[in-house]
Amino acid sequence: MPPALLTTSLVNTIQIGSLYALMALGITLTFSVMKLPNFAHAEYVTVGAFAALIVSLSGNVNPLVIMLAAFIVGALVALVSHIAVFKPLEGREVSFYTLILSSFAVGLILRYILFMVADYFNLFDTRIRISLQILLREGYLILTNIFFWVVPSSILLVIALTLLLNRTPLGREMRALANNPGLARVIGIPVERVKNYSWLLVGGLAGVAGALWGLQTAVSPLMGWVAIISVFAAAILGGLSSFAGTILGAYVVAFSENTVMLFLNFNFGLDLAYKPAIPFIIIIAVLLIRPQGFTELIKRAGDLKR
Amino acid sequence: MPLLELSNLRKDFGGLRAVDDVSLAVPEGAIIGLIGPNGSGKSTLINLIAGSQDLTAGRVVFAGEDISGYAPDAVYNSGIARGYQEPSLYFKMTVLDNVLLPVKGQRGEKPWYAPRWNSWQGDEAAHARRAIEALEQVQLLQHYATLAADLSGGQMKLLEIARALMGQPKLLLLDEPTAGVAPKLAYEIFQQIARLRDDYGITFLIVEHRLEILFDFVDYVYVMHLGNLLAQGAPADIAEDAALREVYFGD
Amino acid sequence: MFKKVLTAFLILMLIVMLGAATTAQDDMETYVLGVALPFSGNLGTFGQDFARGVELAVSQVNAELDAARSSIRFEIASADTENTPEGASRAVSTVVQTTGAQVFVGPLTTSEVLGAKQFADENGVVIVAPASSGAAGAIPGDNIYRVIYPPDVFASKAYANIALERGHENMVVLHLDDPFGNGMNEGFTANFQAGGGGEVASFAYTPGSTELSSEAAAVSAALAGFGDNAGFFCVCFLSGAQAFLQVAQIDPVLTSVQWMGNEAMTAEEILADQGHAQTLANADFITVSFSSESTPLTQIFIDDFNAMFDKDPGIFTNYAFDAANIAMLTMLAAGNDGAAVKSMLPFIANHYIGTAVQAYLDDNGDQAIASYGLYQVSEDLSAFDEVGAYNGNTDTITYN
Repeated sequence: MPPALLTTSLVNTIQIGSLYALMALGITLTFSVMKLPNFAHAEYVTVGAFAALIVSLSGNVNPLVIMLAAFIVGALVALVSHIAVFKPLEGREVSFYTLILSSFAVGLILRYILFMVADYFNLFDTRIRISLQILLREGYLILTNIFFWVVPSSILLVIALTLLLNRTPLGREMRALANNPGLARVIGIPVERVKNYSWLLVGGLAGVAGALWGLQTAVSPLMGWVAIISVFAAAILGGLSSFAGTILGAYVVAFSENTVMLFLNFNFGLDLAYKPAIPFIIIIAVLLIRPQGFTELIKRAGDLKR
Repeated sequence: MPLLELSNLRKDFGGLRAVDDVSLAVPEGAIIGLIGPNGSGKSTLINLIAGSQDLTAGRVVFAGEDISGYAPDAVYNSGIARGYQEPSLYFKMTVLDNVLLPVKGQRGEKPWYAPRWNSWQGDEAAHARRAIEALEQVQLLQHYATLAADLSGGQMKLLEIARALMGQPKLLLLDEPTAGVAPKLAYEIFQQIARLRDDYGITFLIVEHRLEILFDFVDYVYVMHLGNLLAQGAPADIAEDAALREVYFGD
Repeated sequence: MFKKVLTAFLILMLIVMLGAATTAQDDMETYVLGVALPFSGNLGTFGQDFARGVELAVSQVNAELDAARSSIRFEIASADTENTPEGASRAVSTVVQTTGAQVFVGPLTTSEVLGAKQFADENGVVIVAPASSGAAGAIPGDNIYRVIYPPDVFASKAYANIALERGHENMVVLHLDDPFGNGMNEGFTANFQAGGGGEVASFAYTPGSTELSSEAAAVSAALAGFGDNAGFFCVCFLSGAQAFLQVAQIDPVLTSVQWMGNEAMTAEEILADQGHAQTLANADFITVSFSSESTPLTQIFIDDFNAMFDKDPGIFTNYAFDAANIAMLTMLAAGNDGAAVKSMLPFIANHYIGTAVQAYLDDNGDQAIASYGLYQVSEDLSAFDEVGAYNGNTDTITYN
C-alpha cells in the first residue's frame, strides 16, 4: 500500500470515526436510558443536517450558529417522536420487538417528511455553504478545515457528554434510569421528565452529528439512513452500553471501511463496492464471537417488560 | 383519624387469594409491626399500599386522601416511602449519590442548566447538606463516597432508610429491615427507626420476622395468617396470644 | 416492509380514487397507460417531474380525442418504483394486476427497467422507457422500447474518443455499481483500448453511498501508479459526484489530472459549491450530453408544461412526454393490446417528431439517432457551456 494512500485513509478513518462515534453515542444512550434500539436515530441525524443546510443557505453564518440550529432542531424532533410514539407505546407495555419496529416506522415517516421538505424548498443536492480549505499540508498528510471542525467538535462533545453524565444531577438521574428504571420511579425520580431531557440530549447530539456529517458528505434525506448500519455496528461493538466501547467501536468501523478496505482493494483487488458489507460483517462477527452483545439485548428487553 | 387506613383490602393472584379482606389502621407517629408466617400476605399487603401491585378490591386512605390504585410514584409523592426485603439501591453509585437521587426540583437536572456548573452548584450543596444530615441519622456518613455495592447488608438497609428520609415521607413502609443482618446491627437498625420517629415524627409500618427485637420497639402489632388478619394488639398481649402461638410457633 | 405496505396502500388509494372519478363516463372506452417511476428515493424529483410530463401528454391526447368525438380516453395508473429493480417489478405488476394496463411509460434508470423486464416479457406488457440508456438494456426482440434517449453505446464511444484525443495513455474510472455504470465502464474500456489506449483501472461504488473518501483515495492511488498522461472518468449520479468532489478537491493527484464525467454531473447544484466548480474547471472537466432542443416542438412543450403546472419542466421531462405520446399513438393505432402494441410501436416511433429529437429505433428497440453536445465549466464557473458536438451516427467530434 503506497504511503499516500495509507496516510489519506488514516486521516479519513479519524475524521469519519469521530462522526460515527458522535452518532453511535446517541444510540448507546437511548438504549441504556430508554431501553430502545432506536433506528429513527438516523433521521435525527438527517434532520440536523437539513437544519444546518437551511441555516447555512441564509447567508454567511458562523459554523457554531449552524451547529446550534442543528442541535435544537434535532432535539425537538427527538422529543416529539418520544412524546408522540415511543411514550404511548411504552405505556401500553408493547413488546421489545414492537418498539424496534415502531422506531423503523418513525424513521420512515421522518425520512419521507424530509423528502417533501427537500422537494418543496428545492434542497436536493445542495450543500451546506461552508467551503473546503486546506489548512495543513505536510508531505502526504492533508488536513482541511472540515477535519478541524469535525474532529475537535466530536471530541469536545464526547467529553461534555461524559461530564454531564457523571458530574451533574441530570446525569445522575439518567444513570439511575439506565441501571434500574423500576426503582427510579418508586424513589421519586421524575422519570418522565428525565426521559424527556434525555431525548433532547440524544436528538441534539444527533443533530450536530448530522450537521458535521453533512459537511463531510452531501445533505440528502437518505444520508442518515445510509450511515446507520455503520453506526449501529459501532454501538454493538461497544455492547450498546459502554461509552468507551462505543467510541472505540466507531473508530474500528471507520478503520475497516477505509484503511482495511483500501488495503484489500490495493493488494488483493477486492472491489470497493463491497464497502457497505463491512458493517454487516462486523455486526455478525460480534454477535457470533462475543455473544454477550446479543444476550445483553435480550436481558434488557426483559427489564423493559417488567 | 389514623394516618393510614386500609379498608377491606383484597388481592387475588389467579385463583389464589393472597390478601383477604384486611382492614387496619396506622395512627400518626406510631411504629406498627406486621407479622405472620411466610406466605401469610404481609409483603403483598405492603406492595398493595405502595402501589407496586394492583388492588383486587378495597380502599387505601392516606392522610385523608384515597390513594387506592395510585402508581408507585404517585404513592411516593403523597408521602409514603418504602424499603425492600432485598436491598434496592443503585449499587454502582456512591452512598451520597444514592441519597441525592430522590431530591425533588433539582436545578441541575434540567439540560439547559446542567452544562452551566455554577447555575446549580449552590443548589447541589444545599441538597448535599440535607443528604449528609440523613446519612448522619443512620450513621453512614463516613461511608458517603463508598459504592453502595460495597456496604454490608445492614448498612444497605440503613441507606434505604436514609434515601427515604430525603423525600421527607410521613410514612415509611419497611419489609424485613433486618433480613440478612447480624443481630447486633439488627438491633441498631431498630434503634435508628425509633429515633427517627422521635426526632421527625415519621410513622412506620414494619414487616419483621425477628419478633424478639420487633416487640421491643413497636407500639402495636397486626398478625396475618393465610391472607387474613388473625390478631392485633399491644406487643405484650400478642406475645401471650394462644391463637398466634399456634399458627406462628406450631404449638 | 413498512415501505411495501405503505406503497401498496397508496396504490390502492389511488385506484379507488381513479375508480370513483371514472364511474361517471360509462360509454367511454378507457385505455390505461401505466406509469412506473421513482417517486421516492434519491431520484424522486425526477420521477415526479416525469409523471407531470406524462400527465400533460395524456391531457392533450384526451382533449384531441374529445374534440374528434372519439369514444376512447386515456387514463393514468401510476406506481412508485422506489428507484430499485425490485420496486420497479413490483410497481409494474401491481398496476397490471389492478388495472389491466398493457403499456407502461417508465421506469427511469436502466436497473429499474431491467428489474421490470422479466414481468413485462412474460406477461406481454410493453414498456416504453424514456431515459434508460445502459448498454445492458440493448436486447433485441424483448418488450422494452427505449425511445428518444440513445443507448450509452454512443456516449461511451464519445468518451473514449475524447480520452484518446487528449493523449491519455491510461485511464482510471470510478463508476456506479449498477447496469448503467457497469455498462458505461465496459463500453468505454472496450472503445478506449480498441482505439489504442492502454490500461483502464475501474472502481465501482455502491449506488446511494453518501461518503466516498476511500473511493477517492483508491482512484488517487491508481492515478499516481499510472504516472503522467493518465486521465480520470467519473460515472456517477449527482449526489455521488458531489460526495466524490468533496473529498477529491483536496487530493493532490486528482486535482492534477484531466477529468471526464457523465452528464448527471453537469448540474448547477455542483457549481453552487465554489470549491467543486473550481476543481472541475481546473481539471478541464468535459461531459458528453445528449443534446435536446432540436425540433419545432421543443418550445411548445415548455410553454404547455408551464401553462399546466405553472413551473418549468425539469431536465429530460420532455422525454417522458414523448414516450407517453409514442405509447398512446401506438395504442390508438393497434388497440389496447400488448402484443399488437409491441409489433406496431417501432413503426409509430419512427414516424414521430419528438420534443428533443426525431425518434428512430434500432433492432434492439433503442433510439438510434444520437447527437450529443460537449460541455465544460464556463470561465466564471457559473454554468456548463457547450463547447462542441458529437455525432453518434458518424462517430465524429467537432469543437465550436
